[in-house]
Amino acid sequence: MITIKLFAAMAEEAGKETIEMTWQEGMTTEDVKRWLAEQYPSLASRIPAAMVAVNQEFAAFANPLQDGDEVAFIPPVSGG
Amino acid sequence: MLLIVRLKHTNHLPPPLSEAQVAGNSLIGACPSMDTRYSRQLLFAPIGKEGQKKLGASRVAIVGAGALGAVLANHMVRAGVGFVRIIDRDFVEPSNLQRQMLYDEEDAANHLPKAAAAAEKLKKVNSEVIIDPVIADVTAVNAEELLADCDLILDGTDNFAIRFLINDVAVKHNIPWVYGGAVSAKGMFATIRPHVTPCLRCLIPEPPSGGETCDTAGVIGPIIHIVASYQAVEGLKILVGDQKHRNPHLEHMEIWRNFHTRINLTDKKNPDCPACGKGVFEFLDLSGKEDTFTSLCGRNSVQISPTRDRHVNLDELMERFTPLGKVERNKFLLRFHVDNHYILVVFPNGRVVVQGTDDITIARSLYAKYIGA
Ligand SMILES: [Zn+2]
Repeated sequence: MITIKLFAAMAEEAGKETIEMTWQEGMTTEDVKRWLAEQYPSLASRIPAAMVAVNQEFAAFANPLQDGDEVAFIPPVSGG
Repeated sequence: MLLIVRLKHTNHLPPPLSEAQVAGNSLIGACPSMDTRYSRQLLFAPIGKEGQKKLGASRVAIVGAGALGAVLANHMVRAGVGFVRIIDRDFVEPSNLQRQMLYDEEDAANHLPKAAAAAEKLKKVNSEVIIDPVIADVTAVNAEELLADCDLILDGTDNFAIRFLINDVAVKHNIPWVYGGAVSAKGMFATIRPHVTPCLRCLIPEPPSGGETCDTAGVIGPIIHIVASYQAVEGLKILVGDQKHRNPHLEHMEIWRNFHTRINLTDKKNPDCPACGKGVFEFLDLSGKEDTFTSLCGRNSVQISPTRDRHVNLDELMERFTPLGKVERNKFLLRFHVDNHYILVVFPNGRVVVQGTDDITIARSLYAKYIGA
């Protein structure tokens, strides 16, 4: 199982902070992004600009995932 | 001397000075002694005498003097950074006063540019610091000129278009910078050291569009001070050269709902990053750039930034506009009221803000009619 954690506006948009997804061998963060955009179309436009962290470590590109990993999506905060 | 200054600035008499205070004043003299100004900071071991010297020899650019930028500028000037450049394109408005700590009602009434108002306040706080106020929009044309001669860049901006530009300059010239953002009760910051940590383009693959801004989602004062103070302390660590204690995380907090998280950025550079991986600085590329019309979302305003600075004579404009409608003028800008509906704010470098519309077409036609192509 992969636990997807959504933050800030993405959590508000999806109406939840945590989503579970079935883990498969060879899966990467890119697969999680694709799956999330399909399941939650309202998040699709926010996913490309969100920062992705796997187990609280930043994941810059397609990161391989292990069963039980937590994948967080954090939309950057812009104002100032 | 101190007493006279106090009397001048208050409407009521100050409480009488105690004997000790009087004795202290005569010892200190008219100007606070430099040995005592930084005494508490010198006692703080990670800064100390050596660190204070380094701060005094440092140059810092603060981009944006809104809410975050005002706190950043306050910390840098009080801490004794030798040279502080404060860059901002806006003027003080009443809605800023709830959280932008350097400004007051008089600044708003006088439509003072934030950079000028901030410099004015901070010169009184620390006259030893060279403060360089710049009233301008940071663009691909001027970004390197404004930022590349500094040791550190602090992000007081409110949008990612400018942050990607800062990132390009920082990576290209190898200057550390500290990203910060705040909206509603949420905030975020991260220190970017080019080629050591991931850069902004490693972190965020695409400039986010839409999203929450302070003008649409609101913001409360405390989150501003928290984020900017974190940025400031990371800045001080960089300036005194304390690598050991730098914060390797991107931190994210929501202070109303009591939430704080961090993600570790150590060794997470993206080798395919256009900026720090490949040395391609797309946001500094001027080819094909025309004057830009930007709708300032939530502010019912459109900004027109000419690609090249053009010198505008505000006195001439004032003469030309006076028969056509109400014109207000200060040292830094001119405000021309059109049809009781729009206000054109014109700066000497050719930048114009059209207030009263967020429609770029309307702004374009007003600009063409009154300012010219
Ligand atoms: Zn990068």
